[in-house]
Amino acid sequence: MSAVSEARTAGAQAPRRAAAKAPAVRTSQREPGLKQAHLDGAGLPALLLFPQLAILLIFFFIPAIRALAQAFLLADPFGNSAQFVWFDNFTALFRSADYRNSIWVTLWFTLAQNVVTILVAGLLAFATNHILHGRGVYRGVILLPYAIAPAIAGILWAYLFNPAVGPIAFYLKGWGVPWDPNLDSLDAMILVVLSASWKHICYDYIFLVAGLLAVPPSLMDAAAVDGAGPLRRFFMISLPLIGPTLFFLVTMNFVYGFFETFAIIDAVTQGGPAGATDILVYKVYQDGFINLDLGSSAAQSVLLMAFALVLTLLQFRYVERNVNYHL
Amino acid sequence: MALFLKRRQVLALAAALCSLTTPALADRVEVQWWHAMSGVNGERIGELVKRFNDSQQKYTVVAVNKGNYDEVLNGTIAAYRAKRAPAIVQVYERGFMTMLLSDATVPVYKLMADNGYKVDWSDFIKPVAGYYSYKGNLMAMPFNSSSPILFYNVDAFKKAGFDKPAETWGEFEKQLYAIKKAGGAECGTALATDYHWSLIENYSAVNDQPYGTRANGYDGLDTEFVYNKTLVVPQVARMKRWLDDGVLQIAGQGLSPEQLFTSGQCATYFASTAAHSGIERGAKINWSATYLPWEEGRSPKNSTIGGAALWVMKGHKPEEYAAVAAFFDFLAKPDIQFWWHKATGYVPLTNTAYELAKSSGYYKESPTRELAVLQLSRGTPTENSLGFHFGNFTQAMFAQREEVEAVFTGKKNAQQAMDDAVKRGNEILRQFEKLNRGKY
Repeated sequence: MSAVSEARTAGAQAPRRAAAKAPAVRTSQREPGLKQAHLDGAGLPALLLFPQLAILLIFFFIPAIRALAQAFLLADPFGNSAQFVWFDNFTALFRSADYRNSIWVTLWFTLAQNVVTILVAGLLAFATNHILHGRGVYRGVILLPYAIAPAIAGILWAYLFNPAVGPIAFYLKGWGVPWDPNLDSLDAMILVVLSASWKHICYDYIFLVAGLLAVPPSLMDAAAVDGAGPLRRFFMISLPLIGPTLFFLVTMNFVYGFFETFAIIDAVTQGGPAGATDILVYKVYQDGFINLDLGSSAAQSVLLMAFALVLTLLQFRYVERNVNYHL
Repeated sequence: MALFLKRRQVLALAAALCSLTTPALADRVEVQWWHAMSGVNGERIGELVKRFNDSQQKYTVVAVNKGNYDEVLNGTIAAYRAKRAPAIVQVYERGFMTMLLSDATVPVYKLMADNGYKVDWSDFIKPVAGYYSYKGNLMAMPFNSSSPILFYNVDAFKKAGFDKPAETWGEFEKQLYAIKKAGGAECGTALATDYHWSLIENYSAVNDQPYGTRANGYDGLDTEFVYNKTLVVPQVARMKRWLDDGVLQIAGQGLSPEQLFTSGQCATYFASTAAHSGIERGAKINWSATYLPWEEGRSPKNSTIGGAALWVMKGHKPEEYAAVAAFFDFLAKPDIQFWWHKATGYVPLTNTAYELAKSSGYYKESPTRELAVLQLSRGTPTENSLGFHFGNFTQAMFAQREEVEAVFTGKKNAQQAMDDAVKRGNEILRQFEKLNRGKY
């Protein structure tokens, strides 16, 4: 429940904070003085920051640096022997056809997952305000998938769509759809996109509901008086106003698709058939934990990090430009 | 006064007794054993360890399930790096070269000799000991060894007018098509998740086809895969043909292929002899089993093993190694082996244990349990059938599976796919060679 309220305040305040941004230019002179009044010297701030920094250091920076170092080594998994191989692990990756394939698979997967998640979550959020009875139940049901472990969710979807025993696959075949994710690359991709999106829709949904709630009712009422229907109001007023939230969600969905979906892939397709759903993060896991090729796995995680960074920067550079933070 | 003395004597005696008994209890040397057996086999391990602990006073073996084989290996590596590795680890046969050249293990033949046990290693079933040996010495204690056999639905074969599966692949293929046509079963065979082991690796061994150069890696790290020039290529093409014709069925995630067989949907199932326990419990059909088929005109060789062995990790105290040696000695005892064989379906480790099972009449009541042993010890092993000593074999196997899937999905033909699999596999082998040069 705290996640909901947190998201609501975050989403609701985004436009308000943005609104405060404009006058901030004028009052900026006063801000340093205000801050100084609260914190004397560096001691207390450092103390307050320490726990967070320590956690970052232990769980983020040290492993990241070790991964970076490992990426330049050819080492046996037990750590008894290692050779420095310069960029061999990286060049081997770029030479390998299955790694290049994995890059494309990842791009398609994250893009499709992003579109599906935002669209469905947007539709559900839009509908929320038009539901009169049982709105709480409606929201509760939509939030449920978030509480289900990815591996369990994956097995569920794999079973439902299993061509031999799955109930949904059975209906698909009844309608003449030649459904077989074991043999058809596209079917497999559709299946993992669906299951990964299903797991993440609720996350986007919370933010979108909160964002829509923050749209000033006066604007909506005025538009309604002017004769705009609900759909028109949504597209002409709500959508531009929740732009910042949407942008935030697109970025988060990419991060989710890049890093957090390997359990679902493992349960639904294991990267198959023939690498059709072998996304980069699953390959990192497969090569590191199953194949024990630590050097290659580390090099892959460094590259994956770089991809994610570049993609996020590109989004900020080109997409954020079109996002309006002002009311 | 006398009474007082007596009392003191009694107290002293009691104290002496205490000092005799308590240390004896507390001094039991405890060793950890990390294993990957869950479900019924996990319970059997519990029984096994209890029997050992109850059989003597000095040692306690503590068995801990650490997940599947990959998780056990990963956990061991992490523990070893933190200098907290268990004394005994169960590692799958594919990890042999990784463990052998890791510098992290104590060879089993040495452990047993150092602790004064004279083990008759020649009594061990040949392909089992051969797989885990290096330069003629056993490096890991064979534990749960299996081999693939062919399970079949007797009624499905009867319905199409056959008594049992044919011995050769060509005839067997005709039978599967006939069964599908006669309606004996919807599909001919269900593809096991470890099909690479039964239908490609063991296929090569049984038909005496080389898998790699240098005697499948036994003679050196500079081995190269060659299965793209052998009968494996038409074998993969055959699997694709069956798949297209609905004779072969892939279960896919969310469904166990064994269920396709035990429910009667598929007429046959190539699987480990260790699948016995599951099939016995789950099957609603009249089933039996037989040897793996071979190609016409060839005399079939022995199949190779799967399963896992017990490795002893470095960095423990002498008394802990004494405990491990005592446990291994206990494990190799014929009656323990016979019990394990019966309880799990894995093959017995020694010929003595096998003879014991035979003389007790066990195979009269469960004839299919003997198949794997007979198939493993059929004829004299050749260079092609002794086993596979390839480094990073798990990684090479996954590359091969991906290429076979490319055939299944129609992206490549069998020859192309096996060429690519060999190319990828050889790169993996070269990397292992580079890392371990001079160690083998």
